[in-house]
Order: sequence, then C-alpha cells, then structure tokens
Amino acid sequence: MSDKLTVYKCKKCGRVMYPRHDRCLKCKGREFDEIEMPLPATGKLLTYSQLFALPWRYDVRFLTLGVVEFQNGVRAMGQLKTPDVKVGMKVKATWGLVREIRGEKLYGLKFEPA
Amino acid sequence: MRKVAILGVGMIPFGRRDEDTLMDMLAVTGLKAMDDAGIGDRPIDGVYVANMGAPILENKTGLASALVDRLCLFPAAAETIENGPASGASAIKNAFFAVASGYCDLVLVVAGEKMRDTIIWKATDFVATMTHPLAEYIYGVTLPSMAGMFARLYMEKYGVTEEHLAKVAVKNHNNGLLNPYAHIHMRITLEGILHHPHAIVNNPVIASPLRFYDACPVSDGAAAVLLGPAEMAKELNKPEIVIAGIGQATDTLALQDRDDPTDLKAVTIASQKAFAMAKLKPKDINVAQVHDAFTILEIAESEHAGFFKKGEGAKALDEGRTEIGGDIPINPDGGLKARGHPVGATGVANVVAITWQLRGEAGDFQVKKAENGFALNFGGFGNNVIAAILRREA
Repeated sequence: MSDKLTVYKCKKCGRVMYPRHDRCLKCKGREFDEIEMPLPATGKLLTYSQLFALPWRYDVRFLTLGVVEFQNGVRAMGQLKTPDVKVGMKVKATWGLVREIRGEKLYGLKFEPA
Repeated sequence: MRKVAILGVGMIPFGRRDEDTLMDMLAVTGLKAMDDAGIGDRPIDGVYVANMGAPILENKTGLASALVDRLCLFPAAAETIENGPASGASAIKNAFFAVASGYCDLVLVVAGEKMRDTIIWKATDFVATMTHPLAEYIYGVTLPSMAGMFARLYMEKYGVTEEHLAKVAVKNHNNGLLNPYAHIHMRITLEGILHHPHAIVNNPVIASPLRFYDACPVSDGAAAVLLGPAEMAKELNKPEIVIAGIGQATDTLALQDRDDPTDLKAVTIASQKAFAMAKLKPKDINVAQVHDAFTILEIAESEHAGFFKKGEGAKALDEGRTEIGGDIPINPDGGLKARGHPVGATGVANVVAITWQLRGEAGDFQVKKAENGFALNFGGFGNNVIAAILRREA
C-alpha cells in the first residue's frame, strides 16, 4: 500500500509526467525531480468507460475506468469505485488493489466522487 | 527508389477457422499470392510474416522461418514483424523498401492471426498487453474500453451520436454481405440495434458508450501480397498496381499523455506522408479502407486522414458519401467491423481489398472508377499508424 503517487517533473521545462518517460514529452530533457504527490488527492474526471467484457481473471460483473487530471497537471487512469459518474466531476483518488496477475497483487489508483 | 508494384494478392475467408493452424493459414495464403502473381518457381528474395499474438496465444515463435520451410523458399531472407495491430502494414512497408531500394526483387508478405483457439477473455487480455503496463494495463483496461473513453470525448467534442456509430455498423455489415471473405454475413438495422425497445438486448453496452455492434469481431484469418519492381507487372501480364506512397507515424503509448486525446496525430502525419510521397490529395482517392476496429474509429480516422474536415465525418456518413456508391466509399469490403480483425493480418487485408478494387476484381463490392486507393492500419490506440496509397498505372 502507498499513500502517495510518485510523479516526475522535468528539470528543464517543468512538465509533470506520470508514469515516467526517459526523455521529457515536451522538451526531451533527461533529468527529472521525483515529486511525491500525497494521496488522497482530488482531481477532475476527464473521461470514463464502464466495461462489461472484462479481461482474464476479473471476478466482477463490470469495471469502470476513467482518466483524471490532477491540479498539478498530471493525468492518470484509475478504477472508479462507482459507475455513477459524470465527465467533469470532482473525484478523490486513493491507492488500492486494482488487479491480481498470477497471484501477484497489483496496486494503483482508485477514484470515487469527492 | 524503384517503383514497387503489388504483383499478387491472396486471402482466405476470415472467421472461425477451427480446422486450420496458424501455419496452415499462412502457408495457404502465401501460395495464393504467389499463384495470383503467376511467378511459378521464380526465386523469392525476401519474406516478411506479420503476426501479433502467436508467442502468447499459440506458444509459437519464429514464424517466418517456419513459413520459408513450409513453402520451400530457401534461402530467402525472412523475418517476423510484430507491431501490434499495425503488424500487417509494417511488414508491407518493410517489403516496399526492400524492393524500392533494389536490394530485393520479389518479396512475399504473409500476415495471419489465430485468435479463436483461446477463450475470449484471454484474447481480449492479450490485445490489452500492448497498452501502457503501468499507466493502463494494470487497471484492467481493454481496447474496447480505450475506444469507449475516446468515443466519449470525441462524441462530446464533435457532436457524433450513438446513431452515427450505429450507421457505421449497419453500412459495414451491408458491405460485408457482399464479400465472400468476410467473417460476419449478417444484416443489421438501426431499428434492431438502436431504436427498438429490445435493442439493448440485441446490442448491449460493452464499454460505455460503445455497444456490442460498435466493436469488430475476434477473427482467425490471413492475407498476403507479393511485391516486386513495377516493370515485372507487365512481364507477368498483371495490372500494374503500385504502392505510390507509404507513411508511418507514432504517438504516445498512453492516451492520457496526449495534449488533446481526441487528436489522432499519428493518423494525420502518416496519411500526410503517404499523400506527399504519392503526390496526391485526399480528393484524388476513389476508395479507402480504414481501421474500424470500433465504429468511432471509422469516423475519426476518415477525418484525420484528410477525407473530411474534423467533425464532418459523421455528416458525410449521413449523406451516404462513404457507401459503395458514394463519392468516397469507405470499407466497401465490410471493414474490420464485418470482414473481421485477425489483428496482425488486418493491415495486409486492407491492402488486398484496395488491390482488388483497383484491378476491378472486387466482385459485388466493387466501386466505380477506382484508380487511387487508400489503406490505413492503426496500431495500439493510435500510437503506431501506417497509411498506404495504391495507384493503378495506365
């Protein structure tokens, strides 16, 4: 479990990225400051999809996935805890179990209406 | 660079092909392209096999060497190309440059995918392995849900409606009925998939806002082309169909990293490069095959490729301009939506369909006056795109 998300800020141009790239998406700079973004954090829901055709080994009826933009400009995908959402709504992001692959538990972002 | 022609094409009907292994499909289709060109026992210098999933789905690697062995093409240079769902057009691009440079004369491209051997969730998950491992895949993302998130933004921005999406499905299913190679031969209606009170049963939501008939089927299938220097077309007494332009472009792996996620930059750039090389404009194109893995993509790609202004693709669809009898027929063979989408084979299948059109061999889905054709192959969610322009020389 983690109560923070590590994001990467380009030392040259200031563009913030998550997850990291080895060269900046904007200026191709190679050095980044690691910034720890505390969770829970709030952001705006940019888009979402409720999916009923699930990939292998999900034991739920559906998943709702969305992309959230945080105040620092970081955009990240995550699982929405409820399908009752609207584009543009404020959501709270936390860290939680998102998938289990071959017994390995994977953690990531979970969103819920703020 | 030398002028490069498509000397031969081959395809087998897409669908569920339980009776064939992947290697059977590749071998049969490769021979069809060779026989279509009528090259007899002339030596083939290079072989490219396009495939995305065999290492995962079939536990099989080294396809190109295996195909050379089956077809006795030794000592041809051979390699397997894996470039996601753009593998097919990637293989054609490599073959094109091999011939254009003069390094090779005859180059065989065979593309195939066997997706129905496995259970559907495994196939869906396999396709999702091309998404960003950390930013997307771990959340259970699938390509339909990527398309759903994209569609939600695109529909909002450009006023594309559910009915527009359904119209793409109806058009492409109608076209598929005319194509003996199509996976799906089934007429659907707007009433049945959208307006009837039971439409939600016939056409349930799979990745909102997209519904069942917004997605292509999961198919087995293979397609092949034989490329060579253009002068060889005359020698073989084949119509001279040349690859006049080819363009490729990439974009960020994760959709969220794009400043405007509705902007399919790689489609625009790949298409512009192909048009520049061919010295043609979108208005010169008589027939197009685009990568409609989802209905929204046919509309979005037709705009990004330059056939319509942004936001006007849906209007063109409403006006019937993209139907077989329209001024710019799109996916007359049924597209991925009805012809099927064996992922690694699709890029080659699109080029085969255009070749048939330019030769006048497309049968019931033949469009009128096809001189210049366009084929698009869209990999990832628009992160690796290849556009090809084919021309019929007088």
